[in-house]
Amino acid sequence: MNKETKRKLIAYLLVLPAFLTVMAVVAIPIFTALKTSFTDPDTGGFTLSNYGYFFTTPNELKNLGFTLYVVVVTVVLAIIIAYLLALYLRFIKSPISRAIGSLYLLPRFIPSLVAVYAMITIIRDSGLLNRISQLFGGDFKPGLMYQASGMILMNMWFNVPFAALMITAGLGAIPDSMIESARDVGASKLQVFRSIILPLSFKDVVIASTFVFMSNVGSFTTPYLMGGNFPKMLGISLFDQFNKYLRYERAAALSVIMFLICSVSAGVYIYTNLKEKEWEK
Amino acid sequence: MFKYLNPKRFYHAAGKKHFWEFLILAGFLLFFYGPLLNMIMMAFANKYEVPAVLPQEWGFKWWEFVFSQQSLVSSIVQSLLVAVITTACSMLLCIPAAYALARFKFPGRKVFMLSFLLTNAFPKLGIYTSIGILFYKYNLMGTLLGVVIIHMINSMMFMVWLPASAFRSVHRQQEEAARDVGAGPLRTFFKVSLPMAMPGIAVATLYTFLGSMEEAQGTMLVGLARIKTMPVEMYGIILDYPGQAGAVFAILLVIPAAVLIFAMRKYIGPEAIAGGFKMK
Repeated sequence: MNKETKRKLIAYLLVLPAFLTVMAVVAIPIFTALKTSFTDPDTGGFTLSNYGYFFTTPNELKNLGFTLYVVVVTVVLAIIIAYLLALYLRFIKSPISRAIGSLYLLPRFIPSLVAVYAMITIIRDSGLLNRISQLFGGDFKPGLMYQASGMILMNMWFNVPFAALMITAGLGAIPDSMIESARDVGASKLQVFRSIILPLSFKDVVIASTFVFMSNVGSFTTPYLMGGNFPKMLGISLFDQFNKYLRYERAAALSVIMFLICSVSAGVYIYTNLKEKEWEK
Repeated sequence: MFKYLNPKRFYHAAGKKHFWEFLILAGFLLFFYGPLLNMIMMAFANKYEVPAVLPQEWGFKWWEFVFSQQSLVSSIVQSLLVAVITTACSMLLCIPAAYALARFKFPGRKVFMLSFLLTNAFPKLGIYTSIGILFYKYNLMGTLLGVVIIHMINSMMFMVWLPASAFRSVHRQQEEAARDVGAGPLRTFFKVSLPMAMPGIAVATLYTFLGSMEEAQGTMLVGLARIKTMPVEMYGIILDYPGQAGAVFAILLVIPAAVLIFAMRKYIGPEAIAGGFKMK
């Protein structure tokens, strides 16, 4: 056996246990779900009606639109705020920026349930904001609970630090010398931003958006505790189909629909990752 | 001191640049840490009714309540047990794979990396529900092993991608140097590659452990009320008990995270974490 074959064999031996586990606990269940989604619950034959249900029932269509709205607003807002925060952390060196630079890592590790619960104690109608307003004689009701706006606010809490972290890592890889040399030959700050910083950090923005997008399409904790009864996020809708109505076929179909929505952003992600390979070689 | 509370005065005292920085810091702290601090305060309130901003009566009443509930205490033990087993299994399976992905070139490498993206793209609940059908077949419902498998699904991507990117950043020459002076492949791995990739592995371990501590949805579905971890109990507490009990329990849920982050603080940085989301 030559050396090259031996190396490959070792590589496969190292990878195989993890690969088989992923196949068994992720790929096979996904495949079963796909099969279930085309199965008629009564006859056991092939049907498209499980999918049809979600695209013809007005309420389900509203849920779909509502989810896309919340997710897109979350992605756009989170990326804009995170980009500004990342620029600040990268280019302004001060004790305050250093403090924020270490404090913003923490939310990533707080259990989501705890974070949502803590936010509710602030924004519910008898929460801290309302109590403070009563101190000044007012009666301010934030009106965020059970609304899209409340969920988007909560999503900012989860996703801004994450996106900022991804973008900061990208910005950190841009050498100071590159920016200084551009400044030396007379580029304005805006020009530096447009032709150096933005293109070089674009890939990280895409990666951050992808993961923010995917994690929010199927989000459960936030809408479960903060969302209203209607329209509801697809994650809750899926939970209800499975848990409340016991419609496993429909639940499977909805999973596949959500997967397809995520695939769009996953596709963009893979495309940017592979494209970069070409010139990095 | 109080004169600084006047924004105009503060603006001139701090200077234009610092004024904006302080504003950013204040907004940041209020939004990201305000809710957590408010929750901590609530946990130490015996009585906290509208419209009081600060509790009417401080004390440990709700702490005593939580610790007097047998099911809550046992859920803490259960949670730690599941998290430790999940982390150990996940490391054992994934770190060799991560090393192979970083160091060897072989056909199918990309497909393997991509298979982990699946766990993030397909809705978790969809995976849980169809895995449930498999679990019924193999009698894994309501067992510790079943819950551990569910928790591993969530963590495997990080456990492979993060250490892989860490191993890749270890210079090949350093490993070769160790081999040249006579160290075997295993010794090289444990004495050179592993310590140098430690930041990535530490963050991945942290993710896995904390991810397992907070997983609720899958545990509820597969654990069948036989395996009740802390977050599963927490859903019940939020719905059934006054706010303070939830706050106490939430703090208990955060303590492991706080301890681990403190212990691993020197490894946690933007670069180490960001590596887990890049496929290379």
